Amino acid sequence: MTTIDLLGTFLKILIVVGISQGVVAYLILVERKIAAWAQDRIGPNRAGLELLDRPGFRRLAPLLRPLIGLGLLHPIADGVKMFVKEDVVPGYVNRPLYLLAPVLAITMATIAFAVVPFGPVGATGANFLGFGDVQFQIAPGIDIGILYVFAIGSLAVYGVILAGYSSNNKYSFLGAMRSSAQLISYELPLGLSILGIILICRSLDLNAIIHWQDRHVWGILVQPLGFLLFLISAFAETNRLPFDLPESEQELVGGFHTEYSALKFGMFFLGEYLHVITASFLITILFLGGWDIPFLTDQAQTGWFWALVKVFALLLKVGLLIILIMWVRWTLPRFRYDQLMDLAWKRMIPLALLNLVATATIVQLVRG
Amino acid sequence: MTIPIEAALAVAIPLLGLGTFLLLPHAHPRAKPRRVHLAGAGLAAVGLAALMLTLARPAEWLIATFFYAFALIALAGGLLTITHRDPVFNALCFALVLLATSALFLLVDAQFLAAGTVIVYAGAIVVTFLFVIMLAQAEGQALYDRMTRAPRLTTLASFLLLATLAYSVALVRGAERPLLKPQEYPSATGEATFAFKPSEIETRLVKASDLAGRAARSGDEPLRQVVRMALAPTASTAPAQLGDPARGLPPPHVASLGGSLYTEHLLTVELAGVLLFVALVGAASIAAPRPPQPLLRDTQTAPTPHLYP
Repeated sequence: MTTIDLLGTFLKILIVVGISQGVVAYLILVERKIAAWAQDRIGPNRAGLELLDRPGFRRLAPLLRPLIGLGLLHPIADGVKMFVKEDVVPGYVNRPLYLLAPVLAITMATIAFAVVPFGPVGATGANFLGFGDVQFQIAPGIDIGILYVFAIGSLAVYGVILAGYSSNNKYSFLGAMRSSAQLISYELPLGLSILGIILICRSLDLNAIIHWQDRHVWGILVQPLGFLLFLISAFAETNRLPFDLPESEQELVGGFHTEYSALKFGMFFLGEYLHVITASFLITILFLGGWDIPFLTDQAQTGWFWALVKVFALLLKVGLLIILIMWVRWTLPRFRYDQLMDLAWKRMIPLALLNLVATATIVQLVRG
Repeated sequence: MTIPIEAALAVAIPLLGLGTFLLLPHAHPRAKPRRVHLAGAGLAAVGLAALMLTLARPAEWLIATFFYAFALIALAGGLLTITHRDPVFNALCFALVLLATSALFLLVDAQFLAAGTVIVYAGAIVVTFLFVIMLAQAEGQALYDRMTRAPRLTTLASFLLLATLAYSVALVRGAERPLLKPQEYPSATGEATFAFKPSEIETRLVKASDLAGRAARSGDEPLRQVVRMALAPTASTAPAQLGDPARGLPPPHVASLGGSLYTEHLLTVELAGVLLFVALVGAASIAAPRPPQPLLRDTQTAPTPHLYP
């Protein structure tokens, strides 16, 4: 690996981490706006109003007023609040583990992005200032891309377990127990549901899977059951409603992060939203064709124009999926715990196995 | 600098063993004094350094840095796994060892093994450990959770095992060099031109490499193909169209591993599958709820438990 490659990789890491964490702040705003829309109210539109009275900002008023009206200053206010609030560490916690848990949560959510392509990878012809082709992926050419994401995803449960255990609090503990059981249970249908599309595309590399869908059809058409199972498991893995039992407020105060405040709570929050982004990326790449627009894009197209079109197509699909995930929150009620476990073990895993066997049979018959 | 491997091992293994023994939590309710721990850590470090002198250094500085970092993390984590007195920390350190090991797998390009180790061990098994430890510790830590049962015997047995393992690895590694450099292949007479006196295994390996070298130079194309397949690492024997570095495609690690597993090692895979299935059925039958049986035949002498308020 040459120095230029190394610098390019560092640059890509900086861009991806920076953008994803900035996007999370605005996803919270999107979530609140969608909540407001679902409940027929206006939603956040106040942050920054007090600025208009300050003498220095009076001239900026025509510029600031629309931003405030749309609530665009709320994420900034939220971020500042996370930083300046008092950081309470209760006296009875297991201190090293208590401090480690939020770090693990956010690290595992962030490093999963290393193999996720956010645009075309391969011979793109998108040359950057004469340094060579830009690959829209931090670590291109990883043969086990999807397995890496799953490996990192399976480590995400450590943050939750350690938070619950180290807090020394019954609500945290119960939340962590529920959460780890849920995460472990839903990892199985999550993993089984993608085996069909892997069998069809003959690769674990996310780019190869996109390329197959570009040459043939989107994964959702050849693996409709796999798509459904993956979508449901992804909801459970990201702790979103209807699967948010780990922190069901009515029963468990705040669940596993009851004892966390200020920036440490913010790190759990950030990790959770990063998981939503990763899950949307995976659904898009595995089942919705990645950057593919049918009849328009082709993996042989080169140059900046097509590269940007593909990046835009991929990000648009991801954005729509994130909005879907937030919408579902206001559509479905929360499961009871035994229903949650029954759904995973008695419904989804048998269905996923059936899907795998059927796919393997058909693939064998078709290929001969 | 060449140190005889036997001498290095004879120094390093006892030092490591003694250091580990001093670090292990013994049956006392209180922790050992700090100076015992320091002495143990010092001895273990010296032993480790002696062991490292026998290793060849990796060529590239980046890889070398990562290798030493992850190797040290793995070893320190392993030591903490068995010496820390808090079971939750033990499980976490074990997870750390697994992560560092899979990083080492990645450094030698065993991608599937690395991901599999993390998913199966760190992501599932250690999480289950943690789960059980936390549930079992509702009333605080018991003494038997905080001590080693038989420190002398366990240390002796494990370091004997380590010594034999290290010795055999060192033997194979010492004999590996002539295979890797084809230009050093011996002449047609079969006489090796090495600086050191070859052992019997090494002589046999040299003869084998001699045969292989002759076959590779012969005009017989099928024979050359066989030799190439036999000498090449697994990844390079996969069908060429799957991966092609020249076209920007990655080498097919998983495809070649799968091909190897389902052709050469098919029986092993099937046997392992059957074993796992039997274990699953056994676990399900043990865990299944049974109908309540009458606990006591003689209800007159003992109180009936279900009537207790």
